[in-house]
Formats: sequence, structure tokens, C-alpha cells
Amino acid sequence: MSERPFPFLKFARALPAEVSIPIRVADFKEINRDFVDGEAADQASRCIDCGNPYCSWGCPLGNRIPQWLKLVKDGRIEDAATLMHETNPLPEICGRVCPQDRLCEGICTLDEGFGAVTIGAIERSVTDEAIKRGWRPPEATSRTDKRVAIIGAGPAGLSAADRLVRAGVSADVYDRHEEIGGLLTFGIPAFKLEKDIVRTRRRVLEEQGVRFHLGVEIGRDIAFGKLVDDYDAVFMATGAYAAVDARLPGQDMPGVIVALPFLIANARHQLGTATDADVLPDLRGKRVVVLGGGDTAMDCVRTSVRLGAERVTCIYRRDEANMPGSRKEVRNAREEGVIFRFLAQPLAIVGNGVVDGVEIAETRLVEDGDERARCEVIKNSSQTIPADVVILSFGFLASPPEWCARFGIETDDNGRLKAGGGSRLPLQTSHAKVFAGGDNVRGADLVVRAVLDGREAARSILSQLNVVA
Amino acid sequence: MTPLQTTGLYDPAFEHDSCGFGLIASIDGKASTWLVDQAFSALAKMSHRGGVNADGITGDGCGVLIYRADTWLRTLAEEASIALASSFAAGLVFLDHDASAAASAQSQLEASLREEGLEPAGWRDVPVSDSPCGPLGLSSRPLIRQIFVNAPSELEEAVFDRALFRARRRAELALAEDAAFYVVSLSAATIGYKAMAAPGQLRAVFPDLQRTELLSSAVTFHQRFSTNTLPNWRLAQPFRMLAHNGEINTIRANRNWALARQPKLHSPLLDLSDIGDHVSRTGSDSQSLDNMFELLVEGGIDLLATSRILVPPAWSADENLDQDLEAFYQYYGLHTEPWDGPAGLVMCDARHAVCALDRNGLRPARWARSDDGHLIVASEAGLWDVPEQHILAKGRLGPGQILAVDLVEHTLLDSAAVDRINAQRAPFRQWLREGVVYLESHLIDPALAAEPMPADMLARFQKQFALTCEERDIVLKTLAETGAEATGSMGDDTPIAVMSQQSRSLYDYFRQGFAQVTNPPIDPLRERLVMSLVSQIGLEGNLFDLSVDSARQVLLSSPVLSQRKLRQLLALPHLVDRQVRIDLYYDEAIGLRKALENVCAQAEEAVAKGAAMVLLSDRYPQPGLTQIHALLATGAIHAHLTRKQLRCDCNLIVETGTARDSHHFACLIGFGATAVYPFLSYQTLFDMNQRGEIKGGENETVHEIGRTYRHGIRKGLLKILSKMGISTIAGYRGAQLFEIIGLDSEVVDMCFPGTPSRISGAGFVDIENEYRAQLARSRNPNYTLPAGGLLKAIPDGEYHMYNPPVVGHLQTAVRSGEMRHYRKYADAVNSRPPSTLRDLLQVRDDCTPISIDQVEPRERVLKRFDSAGMSLGALSPEAHEALAIGMNRLGARSNSGEGGEDPARYGTERSSKIKQVASGRFGVTAAFLASAEVLQIKIAQGAKPGEGGQLPGDKVNPLIARLRYAKPGIGLISPPPHHDIYSIEDLTELIHDLREVNPTALVSVKLVSHAGVGTIAAGVVKAGADLVTISGHDGGTGASPITSIRYAGTPWELGLAETHQTLVMNGLRDRVIVQTDGGLKTGLDVIKAAILGADSFGFGTGPMVALGCKYLRICHLNSCATGVATQNDILRRQHFVGAPEMVQHFFQFIADDVRGLLAGLGLHSLQELVGRTDLLRILPGITAKQGKLDLSRLLRSPEANASVRDYCVAGPLAPGPTDLALATVRDTRAAVANKQGGQFRHAISNVDRAIGGRLSGEIARTWGDQGMVDAPITLTFDGAAGQSFGAWNVGGLNLVLNGEANDGVGKGMAGGRIVVRPVEGVQFATQEASIIGNTCLYGATGGELFAAGRAGERFAVRNSGAVAVVEGVGDHGCEYMTGGTVVVLGRSGLNFGAGMTGGFAYVLDLERNFFDRYNHELVDINRISLEGMENHLQHLRALMQAHIDATGSAWAQQLFSDFRDVLHKVWLVKPKAASLAALNSELREAA
Repeated sequence: MSERPFPFLKFARALPAEVSIPIRVADFKEINRDFVDGEAADQASRCIDCGNPYCSWGCPLGNRIPQWLKLVKDGRIEDAATLMHETNPLPEICGRVCPQDRLCEGICTLDEGFGAVTIGAIERSVTDEAIKRGWRPPEATSRTDKRVAIIGAGPAGLSAADRLVRAGVSADVYDRHEEIGGLLTFGIPAFKLEKDIVRTRRRVLEEQGVRFHLGVEIGRDIAFGKLVDDYDAVFMATGAYAAVDARLPGQDMPGVIVALPFLIANARHQLGTATDADVLPDLRGKRVVVLGGGDTAMDCVRTSVRLGAERVTCIYRRDEANMPGSRKEVRNAREEGVIFRFLAQPLAIVGNGVVDGVEIAETRLVEDGDERARCEVIKNSSQTIPADVVILSFGFLASPPEWCARFGIETDDNGRLKAGGGSRLPLQTSHAKVFAGGDNVRGADLVVRAVLDGREAARSILSQLNVVA
Repeated sequence: MTPLQTTGLYDPAFEHDSCGFGLIASIDGKASTWLVDQAFSALAKMSHRGGVNADGITGDGCGVLIYRADTWLRTLAEEASIALASSFAAGLVFLDHDASAAASAQSQLEASLREEGLEPAGWRDVPVSDSPCGPLGLSSRPLIRQIFVNAPSELEEAVFDRALFRARRRAELALAEDAAFYVVSLSAATIGYKAMAAPGQLRAVFPDLQRTELLSSAVTFHQRFSTNTLPNWRLAQPFRMLAHNGEINTIRANRNWALARQPKLHSPLLDLSDIGDHVSRTGSDSQSLDNMFELLVEGGIDLLATSRILVPPAWSADENLDQDLEAFYQYYGLHTEPWDGPAGLVMCDARHAVCALDRNGLRPARWARSDDGHLIVASEAGLWDVPEQHILAKGRLGPGQILAVDLVEHTLLDSAAVDRINAQRAPFRQWLREGVVYLESHLIDPALAAEPMPADMLARFQKQFALTCEERDIVLKTLAETGAEATGSMGDDTPIAVMSQQSRSLYDYFRQGFAQVTNPPIDPLRERLVMSLVSQIGLEGNLFDLSVDSARQVLLSSPVLSQRKLRQLLALPHLVDRQVRIDLYYDEAIGLRKALENVCAQAEEAVAKGAAMVLLSDRYPQPGLTQIHALLATGAIHAHLTRKQLRCDCNLIVETGTARDSHHFACLIGFGATAVYPFLSYQTLFDMNQRGEIKGGENETVHEIGRTYRHGIRKGLLKILSKMGISTIAGYRGAQLFEIIGLDSEVVDMCFPGTPSRISGAGFVDIENEYRAQLARSRNPNYTLPAGGLLKAIPDGEYHMYNPPVVGHLQTAVRSGEMRHYRKYADAVNSRPPSTLRDLLQVRDDCTPISIDQVEPRERVLKRFDSAGMSLGALSPEAHEALAIGMNRLGARSNSGEGGEDPARYGTERSSKIKQVASGRFGVTAAFLASAEVLQIKIAQGAKPGEGGQLPGDKVNPLIARLRYAKPGIGLISPPPHHDIYSIEDLTELIHDLREVNPTALVSVKLVSHAGVGTIAAGVVKAGADLVTISGHDGGTGASPITSIRYAGTPWELGLAETHQTLVMNGLRDRVIVQTDGGLKTGLDVIKAAILGADSFGFGTGPMVALGCKYLRICHLNSCATGVATQNDILRRQHFVGAPEMVQHFFQFIADDVRGLLAGLGLHSLQELVGRTDLLRILPGITAKQGKLDLSRLLRSPEANASVRDYCVAGPLAPGPTDLALATVRDTRAAVANKQGGQFRHAISNVDRAIGGRLSGEIARTWGDQGMVDAPITLTFDGAAGQSFGAWNVGGLNLVLNGEANDGVGKGMAGGRIVVRPVEGVQFATQEASIIGNTCLYGATGGELFAAGRAGERFAVRNSGAVAVVEGVGDHGCEYMTGGTVVVLGRSGLNFGAGMTGGFAYVLDLERNFFDRYNHELVDINRISLEGMENHLQHLRALMQAHIDATGSAWAQQLFSDFRDVLHKVWLVKPKAASLAALNSELREAA
């Protein structure tokens, strides 16, 4: 009996080749190369087109993954890009920075036993290729006289801008930084997302009609009230930049730095836009300890490796399975020489005027009903990890701009803007003309959720402006 | 009769009946008492073909129609002092027992007779004995009197009969309110007697019939089997002219068209204007057909022509048909539609006694002619007492054949003779040549082809008509690329349209009808020859007025139009000035209802002014106006024009963007459209083609891209027709063969009047709101096509009940075995948005709870759980066995599905307790059947009722092939019908056959829910089943065409409630275990199902998901990544994670859940819950549409007969085994036990059915299928065997029959030998005479059959191993054969070898026309040359020799002695896939 080889048995899951470790840690370039010679089509053909497309369910954006995988398989790159953009204004970025192993790929039917379809890699390479070939997102079929201001050129802001201009509404995006992208540019290191990619997206958005006003801080350079008066609606996508303060003893010592400023300073050095404020410690030959287990922590450890640190250790209080960060990043970091100490709770930063080490205690996980396992410190288990530099990466909180209160824009106890609910449109704040989304509403969260908020905020705005979409 | 309660779900309109029938006539016209005696004794011998009622005594009715019994009638009249004239008529009349009502009915009839110039001569009381009627029959017995009418002198008898007809019809009209009044017959030539009594009792009921003066030269007789038990004397047959065995599937269309056609019919002989509706719109289908026969015959078309006009053979596919004869059929086809469906008819009028069969030949009719000039035709052979030596000839009626006795000229007319008479009635051929225009694609001006629309216009239309990407990419694309519908798996887990929170297509509210049990679906692929989509455009003429003018018609090969055909049609000279276009747009301000009234008025006015073409179009939107859905408009206008009797003056052409898949077309045509032009489908395909998204066929230009699509739609239409057992589109048009779920009566009454719609739902305003939203979207340029989500669970798309979280929770629960995880799953299910009807039924929470300890234990609950039938083949062996083990450990039952089972599993914990018998009969042997606790006859399955199945070759690995007796790698097909069940009495027979082979097993019948399933279930109970399953539409794990998954079958809530109510009302509920299945997920589902009437519960998808299935819906691709539904080695071995414990957990959770809920209700056991509809409360739902649903009929508690419990306690209504069957086992007990063989001899008659089956079961249970091969038992029988002779025969059992046999010889035979040979000294030539009936060797897997005579239709269907020699076969021989060898030493019928993928046949072709008679699709034919094919030559010789040795056939001997010459006239028929060389070497090895 002849048995047709099913593509998912014929082709193993394969990511594009990675740059070898010694070479990749020498600079900040992306570590994944592109698919070559139909590899993307072969990989896409592994999709079995499930009746329950788990990947779409696993994607916050509900991306129509099986459908565009089929187009990729058929070599219809531009059609695939169009379909990707129907749900996702920034597919090449999500393809790079999403923790796919916790989202679409983690839930992929083939993940169990076969290896998930390489959804993220396909998404990124197809979008890159389509844009390279001159493909552009569909244009508005008609223009309106509506205008919307967007504060923040991060993923939420860009996402909203794309949707608005495609519906024929003009979008002005204000950002205090000198380049668009927000954390995409300044937070995420280039080895995960090269900055050319963001620049290309900027060009695409500008061609679509998005106007960027960079280096402009609302509240400093332009009054918020003016935006409210001048525009038909305002979308606040101001992010979450306030570091969570773990109040560790010794955290004020020199040598203790906070993750985000560290990453931003590094990014600016890479971009060549660093100012005196962007202090980047010299890590060459140093022992670096990063506290925290999220993706930002992973960015810090891997950046530290590239900045020449001799020994980089990541300390996290739960076990590996319970890490919030993507498994892919843990693997990358390990490959690049990072040491992980799981089940370790930092108690204090020790040193004599300068950092000398981190005192930790061992923990164990306690099952707690259906919730995520709680961790419990084991008594008398403390020890000290030597360190020259300690990077704190305990997460970030929304930091609402001061004008919010004045304009009656409500926040919750954690500083997050209240949006949606009750009779409001989704993502509408307590100020009828003002909408908000992304980290300032959610607290620090995934890029893809910020993209989702931008998309949905735009939908709400269009509906409020009677531009049906 | 008592008016029947219709407030619940039971509706008497759904009743079906079927039967045994016959006719005995003296060709010479010699009247005799012998003939009359023979008729009554033949009738008595068909008891097993009739139904017995709940009281166990009352039959469903039987009767006789006696020809010219004048002597007797005169005696009766004389005794009643009635003076008769030289010419007179007599008739029985049913009257009210109330004297004054009876008197007034009598005087009305008399008055009507006088109006026609006739003189009533008097009345007499017909003596009736009550004792032979059962209590039920007696309770409804009318007062029976007999009227005599004298003819004025010199009045021609034909004129007299017409006057009697008018008088009777006028009286019926006047007495419409008198429920009791009924004229059994009133004619000068024939008289009918009928009663609700067992057939052997008819003479006992009517002492008149015992009189010695009763002699006649022709009698027809009939025995009825009705699906209900509610007594009704008038529905016994024969009617005034005919008796019918079968079912008219097109009845609704026939009745509607008869009404529409009334003003067209003018007989020069008879005034038809004041006799009321030409055919009865209620009562049985047979009754309406009788009305139509009578109307045509009295109107001047004789019985021979009428039979062929109303029930034509499959003339259009017969290329060799005489052209004049073809013209006769075609001419009448222009003005009528066939009354289509299984039909064996016997008829008698003043001139002819006739027996005729429908085009499919689905009812048996065996005839014999004796040397003293008598003819008998009946459902079975062996009914009369004429020694075989006095038989001159015998045979059977084949499909579309007719046999008539001219009672005046004293001649016997066979089909050819009748055809000759018909062909010469008028110059039909010349008229057609002058009148008919054919629209052939290649003759049409290409300039008329559709131009692709501009992109923005197309986008607007796509949005307006709510096209989705899913529909475009899956439905349209597949049709256009492959010419066939897309396939899906895993059923439909979305809410039905009315429950959905999304805007759904109007077509989604319509569920296709399908045939089950009382009538068979047709196989549209393998038996394509009986089907036709030819549609005509033109005006109908008067059937009674033969003329060339009536032939002015345009014929289309199908009702699916291309733009070119549409434009061409509209431009035809004789139509160009007689057409009107009605745009389906309206101003919202007036509302949808008014808009529909307007278009109806517009159509009426146009047609009244002479428009012959009414084009309904939504192709031309106007700014600011909203669309009217084409289906609403089509239905409303068709109904309106029919009511106004204008429908036959025009053709309704629909140009619409709404029609995309075959179901859409079926709806439009089913509600009256003549033809449909789906412009948006074409435009979308053009666009996809231009963008390179679909590849056109080879040499297909962009304009032709729709051709493949049309082909696919046509195929889909044929499938939909065939599901209902309908052969021609003419019989489907206007037939309304749908059940509507979720439309308000205001919509149904106006647009789809008469279509079942039982729970109300969306009204005009709801429909309007949805279209308004669609139209708004279409105007929004930024709105892109939505993704869809009906087929796949897309986020933001339609809700799916097995969505990823539900699947995930369930798998977590069964893997952990922890109740808290199950709770999460159950909560996710129970708190879903209302999606099923049961979601709107809330279990009351105000009962006083009891402690859980007081509830019956888990084990007792588990006994009520079955897993649904899923075959090994569809499932991997690992999954199949894990399921069986899990169920067995629980004390529940798993179901083998239809793929057989490895004998190594019998008797172990891997064995399935339920063994399924499906249409493919794969691996169904005596040992398989004997190993079961339950034998389930799968009539239909939820995912695709009315259709067969297919196991792709990829899945047929060596194990599957072994179990199914097939070859690895070759796809296996299950036919749409069980070829041994074409009607309810056939089901009775199969149930009997199964009981014989395994007397201890329960017999179960699986049905699919639809309107009327309750009456089918009642029939099933009367047929003797122990258990009946009502499946919901949503179930289904197998692969099916997507339209079948989405549009056929209805929710089980409706079917179950209807079944429970019907069974209770009929007093049958306590005789059967009722089971339901279809999407049952939690304990709450079980509780609700029990309340609606279920004793037992089936689960299909749930346990599959428990075993690891992730609802991938790729079961049909063999690529199931979870290893559940695949035969791929790697996937099974490495990726199947299921274990029996998971199944156990699943059912234990549910059982515990059930117990908890029972405790909450204060009940101790599930049994207490059955039928307790008072425990449910109806919720309003969360949408406007849901709020308009009326579910109260589901909860109606019918009045039950106090003595009958409403759950199963009494056991089945099955008659026990016959004495002969018991004797065969008793005599051989030692021979079997000691494995020593032996010889035995018995007399046999036609009431001895399934003889051999019981003994085969004994042998198989003791020794296996082949265990007695070395110690054979030989049973010899003398006489005519009843049906299923030698069923399930096993190795080592040899049956020899001296005489003849009926249908089903050797069905399911696995080994041994059956010999059927005529008694010595017969006069007829064996190769000319029928010796065994239809469907012999169906599903045989081994053994030998030698029959010295002809076999009937469908010989060796699905044979996979038996070797047979017969001397002729009917149509469809060796259909679906996958193995074995068949030798036909005589003529074979049409369509030989259709779907045959294995084995081979040698066919003698003396007439040299076999080339035109075999099906060329899968087999080829070869001469057996003397060189290189010695093996075949030897093989054939050996088989012929064996045949001669076994039967002593003179014909075979003659052929054998001339072997070298004969060899040139023999074809070797083999599958194309098998090479001659391979066959040769196989034979060599075997030898």
C-alpha cells in the first residue's frame, strides 16, 4: 500500500539557520537568517489546517494563520502579506518578538510530538519579502476629513495609526523619542529586532499617510488640551516605563541598574543617538547578575553578554517551566553562555559601597489550587552570588502622565488607565474623546497585546467618528 | 376516523406505509372460485409483510379488489331485495355509526348519483364479524353498507363509470365534513373490500367473501404495513384502482403540481371543473396516486398509458430506446412530473389488470403463468397452489417493467407490448421535432457570456450577499477546481441558524429531507442511469389534448444556468416578448412582508397578461433599497401563482447572488424555481481565476471557468435528490422536501406553505434586520470579506461547541482523572452562549434534593451509555480497541462501526458489544453477529443521512483489508441504501434475519432526526426492534460532503421528543429502548435527553476527544496527527496517546455528574426521569430570534394509554422463529456439538424466512465461521423458500432447495454452499425463469451459490468472496463487488459491475449487447482467448461443471457441451485496476 508522505512527517520543524554563537555574541545583529529556497513554503506546508485552528486561538490578534500558511505554501507571498495585515498591522515585528512558544506555536497541534509549525519565522520572512518586493498594505478606498492624534509611537500607537489611515482618517503620531517604535526600538535589543526593520515599517506607514512628530513630548512641547481640541479623537499609547521597585536592601548602590534605562542606553548607543544621559556601564570582564525572569530580563542578560560581561547569571524565583519569558529566549541565552539560577529569591544586594554580590535564598514551589504555583522561601538556605553589576528586571508599571487627572481620565491603583467597560466603547477612557491602549492600560505586557489594543482602539475611534469599519 | 392530536411534535402527515401486494388473473377471462380462493390464500401468506399493532393482533389493513363478480353481487342484492338492472354498479361505503349521520351521508350520495343521471338501486348492510379484527381495528370500525346503482339502459359502461366517478367525487366534496364517510369503491367493473385486520382474516371479517357464489377472473390484493398504529380503515388498500407497495417520495410536489395544473386539465369526456381538488392533499401517498390514476383513466387515457405517464421507467438514459417510444415519454414528461419512489403497483379497471414497477425496481414482483391460463404477480414467489410442473413461465418484473392482462381481448401484454401500444398513440416524435428547442452550450453565441465585473462592484456584491473567505476558498474553489463538493469531518458543532448570534444565511434554516427505512435513497453515482436533471422552459398543456402545440418547449440539460444560457433563453423569439423581470429590492419603509406581497402581485399580473418567463433578480441593486432574499421571493411567488393556478403558465428563473452551493440551488428549486443563474458565484470564480487563485481546467478559458463549478453543483443536486430517493429534478421541483428550523409561521405560511416548521423563530423583521446590516456593510468600502467560521472555529467567527478551550479542558480532565478538571470542562460547556435547543431548556432547580447516596449507583448509570458507531478503518486500531476496552471495563457498550472486527477480539475485553450492520456489510459474518450483545442496523448517520460512505484507499491497509475482505489500497464504498431495505417490511425482514443468527442479541435501529422520524421509529418498533437510536444532525466523526454536514438532519431534541410522543400515543413506548446521540457532552445533556424521552445515550465525539482527538477535522485525509483517525503507522505508533482509562474517566465523570443532578432533582434513578418534561422550563434566550422560538411542543406530554408505560419494559413486537427454523437447529444439535455433519430434509414455504440463519448462528458461535467445513451438514428443502434463504450461511452448512426462493438468498454468506434448482419435470427453460429474488448474496464474504435459473436485481452487491453461478441476473449485478467470482450463464440487466473494485465475473452474452449493459466506470470486459488465458478457461469450465453437478441444469449442460463455441460469447468482467496477468497468476495459485 502506498502511503503519501504527509508534509508534517516529511519535513521536520526547522527555523532559519542561526548565526553561530561565537559570531552572534560579537555584535547586536539578528541571530536568525532568512529562510532560503522555498524553505518557508516547505515549513508552511507542514500546517495540517486543523478544524480548530488552535494557533489563531492562541494569537491575541486572532491571526488567520492556517489561511496565510496555505498562501505561503502556494508561493503567494503578497496575498499572504495582505492577509497577515488584515489582523495585524505589524506582522514582521510580531514574527520577531512574540513569544510564539507561549502563543500560536505553543498551542499548535503539531507542537506535541512533531514540532510546531514555524509560524513566527514564516510571518517575519514573508512580510519582509513582500515589502522588499514592493508590496504595500491596502490603501484607503476613500478619505475622510477626520483627524486623530496618537501619543506614543510604540506598537499600540503604530497599530492604531495603520488602521486609521487605512480607513481614510489622518493620523498624527507624537513621540518624545527621536525614532518611532517605543520599546520596539529602545527596549528590545537589535539581536531580536534589527532597527532597520522598524525604519522600514516607518517608511511604509509614512507612505500610507501616517505623520510622525518625533522628539515631541505632549505636556512639555504641546499641551494635551490642544490635541483634544484640535483632533476628533486622541489615542494614548504611552507605555509603561515605571520600574517595579522590589525594595531590595542595597539596591541604591553603584553597580545596580534598572533594566529599561540600561536597554534604552544600549539601543541609543547602537543607533548613535546616545546623549550624556544614556549611561551604559562598561561590562567588559564583569560578573553581571540579572534579577527577574521575564523577556526583559532575557534581553538584559543577552545584551550583557554582547557588552563583554565575563559571567552573566539570571536569578529567578520560580522554576524554568514557570518562567514568564519565552522558552526560545531562555534557550538563546543559555547558548550564549548565560547561567540560570532557578528557585532562587534575591534577598539583598550586598557590597561594601559597591556591589559585591546578591544574597539569595532557595525556594520551592507550592501547588495552590488551580492557580500558578506559589513559591515559598526555604529557611536557612541563603547564599551569596558574586556580582559586579546587578540589573533589576522585576517588570514595569504604567506611569500615567500628569494631565490625565486634569482631563478626568481615570486610572486604577496601579496607575493603569481605565478603558472600556460600562457604556464606553472598547478602550475608550473616561474622557469621551480619549482612547488608550497598550501597556498604559495593561501594565507591562506583550508587544502583540499592544498591537491588539491599537487595532481595537482604532476600531472604537472609527465607530465613534462614524467611519464604519 | 378520530381526528389526531397534532399539538405535540407528532403529525399524522408523516405516516408511511408499505406492504405486500399481488394480482391473480385468468388471461382467458375464466371466472372461478379457485382464483378467488388463491387470492385470499396468497394474501394470507404475506402476513409477515404487514404490520401488527400494539395490541399484537390488529393488522394494519388489507383488502381485495375483485373484477366483475356479477353473479355474486346479484345474489347479494337479491337477498337484500334490491332490483338490479342489466348494467349496475356496487360499492362498499364506510359510514358513521350514528344513524342520522349515516342516513344523511347516504342520501347525499344518492343525490349526487341522481345529479349524474344514475339511479341508486338500494343499500344493504354488509355483515361484519368483529372477532377477527383486533381491539384496535374494532375500535375504529365504521358502519359498512353496500350501495347498488343501476345504469340507465343503453348507457355505455365507460360512460356509466365516469358518471359514477363524478357522483362519488361530488358526494365526497359535499360530505367533506363527515369524517366517517368513505366510498371504498363504486364501479361497474370492480368492487373493493378492505379492513383493518390481519390478512388471513379478511374473509372472516366479511362473510360476503366466504360465499360460494363469489367467482372472478381477476383479483388484486394488498396487505398494509403502516408506521403508526392509529387505526384507519380507509387507508387499507387496494383503493379504487390500485394497490401500491412502496412510497412516493415526490408526493408533495405531485400534490402541489396537481393543484397548480387543475385549470389546465380539460377532458373531452368528463367535466373536471366541479369535483374539488384533483388529488387528495392528505391521507396516504398511495391514495393520492390512486386519485391521479383514476382521474386520468376516467378522463380518457387508458390504464396502460396512465401507468407509464405517472410512473415512467428510466427512459432518458436508455440509448437504445425506440424513438417513438422515447417521444411518448418525453411528450408526457413536458406536462407532468413522475410520481417517483419505490413502487410496486397492481391495478385493475374495466379493461386491464396491470402490475408495474418504478424505474428503480425497488419492490419485488414475481410472476408465474400456469398452463391453464392463470397469471399471478405478487411480492413473493410461492404464493399459489399450482404445482411447478404446471408452470409455463415465471419471472420477475424488473425496474420500469409492466405486465398487463387485457381483460377484454384476453391477451397478456409484457413491457414491450405495452410500449408498442403507447408509442403508436400519436405522432409524438414529429410533434417534438417541431416543437422542442434544445439549448446546448456549444451552440450558444459566446458573446453572451458573462464579462467579469469591475473589482469594486464585485466586492460590493460579495459583501451584500455575505460571502466569506471560507466559503470562497473552500466551497466555491473546490467546486470549481474538482467539480465536486468539498469534504469535511467531525460533523457540525455550530449553533443552528436560529440559535446563532451571527447573521446567518436564510438557506441555513432549511434542513434537507432524506429517505430512511420506509424508502431508500438512490445511489446517484453508481445508479446514475435512473436520474435526470433535464428541465424544461415553456408552458404546460392539457394532458388530455394531444397536439403539437403542447410540445413547444425549450429543454435544458440542467436547471443550473450559465449566463450564456440565460441570455439565450431570454432572447428566444417566442419568449422575448413574454417575459418580465422582477427586481428583488424594496423600500424598507414598506417592510419585507409588504414587499413580498408586491412582488407576488407583480408576478401574478405579468403572468395573467401572458408573461411566460418570470425572472427574479437581485443582480440590479438600487440605491437606498434593501434586498429581498431570492428564496423568500421564489417561495412566495411560486406559492402565490400556484394558489392562483397560474404557475403552470410561466417559468420562474432566479438570477441571484445568494446561490452558491448545491443546497442553495436545491432550496430554490425545491420551492419552485424552474432554473437558477448564480451570477455571484461565477463572478467570484472569474475573479479568483484572474488572480491565479484557482486553476481552470485544461483549455478552460476564463469564460468557461464556471463549467466545472456547474458540474459540481449538478452532482450535488443529484445527491440531494437521491437522498430523498427522487430520480428527476421534475419530481423535486416544488416538492418542498425540507424541514424549516427557526422561522416564524408568518414567513413559512407566506413563502413556504406546508413545509414542516415546528418551533417558530425568526420573523420578517429579524430577517430584514440582518439584510439591512449586510447592505450597510456592502456600502462600506473599508469592510473586507469576513473570514467565515462556520466550518472551522475561527476566533470572532461562529461559535463552535468543541472549541479549543472545551477540548483542552476535557483532555486535561480525562488525563488527570480529577473531577475538578471535569467541572471546568462541564462549566465551559454548560455556560456557553445558547447554541442548541436544549440550551433554552433549563432543568428546574426548585425540587427537593435527596442525598446522593440515595441515587442509583454509578454502575447502573454507566449501563445506559454506548459509544457511537465508529469503524475500524475510520479509527486506528489503537483508538478503536482503547474505546472498546474502556467501555467494557465500565460495563457500558462500544460499537464496532461498520468495518467488521478482528475475530481475535471476539469474546475478549477488546470486543465491541454492539456490532453494527451498515450498508456496506463489511466483515458482517455469522461469527461477527453471534459475538454481539446488540446488533445495530445503521440506517443513517447524523453527518450525512441518506448517503453512503467511503473509506479512501489510503486508509485500507492490510489489516483493514483483511477485516473487510478487500484488497489493500483500494477505496471501499458503502452504498447509500441498505440494498436489502427498501421499505419498512424489508427492515422487518432484516431484523428477523439478525434475530435468527443471534437470538439473544438486542436488535437496534439507528435513525437520524428529522420531521417525521417519530412515525418511522414507530414503524421500526412494529418491525420488531428492541432499541431505536435517534441521532442528531450534529454528530458525526466520519468524512462527509460539507453540504451534508451542514444541511441534513435536525437536532436530536426535536427527533427524540417526537419519537417519544409518537410512541406513547401509539402505545408502543414500552416495547423499545429509545436512545439518542449527537453532541452529548455533559451530565446535564444526559439529564435533558432523558427528560425528552431517552432511556439510553450515545457518545461519539466525546470519547474520541478523551482519547486525544483535537478536533482537527481531517479524519478523511488519514493524516490525523493525534493518531486517532488514521491508519498511518507512524502516526498511530508514535502519536496516539489515548488509553482506556481516559475513556473510563470520561464516562465516570458524566455518570457522577448525572447522579449529582438526579439528587438535585430529588430522583433516585434515570428511569424516573424519562419523559418528565414538567421538570424543564423554557428560557427566553439572549437574542431576538431565540426569544421567538416556541419550544413548547417539545415538552408536550401526550395522552398515553394508561396500560402502557412510557419507558421500555415490555420487550419487542417481534414474532418468534418459525417451526422450521427451530427444527433445523433441533435436528442438528448433535451434529453441530460433535462436529460430525449430517443430512436432513424438510418441506419449506414462503413464510419460512431466513432459513439456515439460525443454524449458521449456532455453528458460528460454537466453531466460528469456517469451523465445520470438514464436517458438513446438508439440509435439503422442498418448496418455495421465504426471504433471506441461507442468510449468514457459514462454512460447513450446505443448503439445497428444490423449488424457488425469494429475495435475499445468501445475504451475508460467509461459507458453505447454497443450491437452488427447480423440481424435476418443469416445463419452463431455467435460463428464462426467475428462481431466486432480488439482492441475493448481498454482502457475502465467502461460500458458493448455484442457482439453476435467473437471479433478480442487484445480484451479488457488495460481494467480497462468494462464488456464484446463475443463469441470468437483473440490473445492477455485481454492484460494489470487492471480491469473489460470479458466473452469469444468461442475460444480464443494465449497469453491471458499477462500483466494482474487486473479484471478477464471467458473463454470457448471446445477444451481443453486453457492451451497452455494463457500467464502464470501474470495470472492463475481455474475451477469454484460448491462448494465454488457460487459467480462466479452466476456471470457468470447472465452475460450470460444478453448477451442473449441483443443479442438473439442462441449459448449463447444453452450454458446456458446446464450450468452445460458447467461450466466444463470454466476457471476463474485471476491475480496470486489476491486470489480466495478475488475475491469471492468482488463479494459477488458487488452482
